[in-house]
Amino acid sequence: MAEQRVATSKVAGTWAWYMQRLSALALIVLLAVHIYLDHFEGVAEEESGDTLIEFGDVSLRFEELIYVVVDYLLLAFVLFHGLNGARTVLLDFDRFLRHRKVLDIGLFILGVATLIWGIVILFPFLQGD
Amino acid sequence: MDLSPRMFKWLFGRNSEWWPTNMKTGMWAWIGHRLTGIILVVYIFMHLSFITTASLGDGEKNFNALMAVTSQPLLVAMDFLLVVVVIYHAMNGFRVVLFDFCVGIKHQKLIFWIMMAVTAVLTVAGLWAVWHLIFPGGEV
Repeated sequence: MAEQRVATSKVAGTWAWYMQRLSALALIVLLAVHIYLDHFEGVAEEESGDTLIEFGDVSLRFEELIYVVVDYLLLAFVLFHGLNGARTVLLDFDRFLRHRKVLDIGLFILGVATLIWGIVILFPFLQGD
Repeated sequence: MDLSPRMFKWLFGRNSEWWPTNMKTGMWAWIGHRLTGIILVVYIFMHLSFITTASLGDGEKNFNALMAVTSQPLLVAMDFLLVVVVIYHAMNGFRVVLFDFCVGIKHQKLIFWIMMAVTAVLTVAGLWAVWHLIFPGGEV
C-alpha cells in the first residue's frame, strides 16, 4: 500500500502532540529535582553508612513526603510520555495505523495498569519498620 | 578484516549500497531519538520489575539481595549507559521542543551539535560521579 507521509500531528492528533511536548518539559524539570534530591541532597549513606542503597535507606528517604511526590510524578509523566511516544512510533506503521482504536485502548489500559503497579510497589517502603 | 580507507569509502562513501547516504544530521538525530525512546520505554518495565522484588516474600531481603547484584561494577556501567541514553533523549528532545515553539529552526544543525556538546559535558560529569563505583579502589 503506497501511502503519502503526513505530519505526525495529523496522524497522532494535535492533543497527543501537544501533551508530548508538555510532558517532555515537565520531565526535564522533574529529572533535575530528582537528581538534586537523590544524588546531592541526601545520598545513600543515610542508614547503613555505605554507598550501597538498601531497603532501609529507601524507606528512610520516603519518610520525607517530597521524595514520594517526586517519584510518583516522575512515574506518571514517564509512563504518559513513553507510551504516547511509542504510539507515535507505532502509528508510523500501516499495520498499527489500521487498528489505531485497538492500539489506543490497549496503550491506555497498559498505562493505567502500569501506573497502579508502580504506585503499589512502593507501599512496602512507605510502611517503614 | 581490512579496514583501510578504501574499505571505509566502500561502506560509508557517497555511492554506498547499504548505508543511507542521503540522510543528514537531522535525520540521524530523529532516528537516535526514536531508538533511545524505545530503549527507555522497555527500561521502565524492567525498572518496575526490579522494585517489585520488595513486595514479594521477604521483601527487604529480596530487595537488598538485588541491590547487592546491581551495585557490581559491570551493572553500574550498564546503568551509566542508560543515563547517557536519557541525556541524549532529553537534550535532543529539548531541541525538538524549541523548534515547535519556532525557535532556532533555521539553525537546527548547529543547535543539534550544541546540544550534543551539552550531552558530552553532562556525560563526563555523570561518569565522574560514578567512576568510583565502576572502578572501585582504583587510583585515577
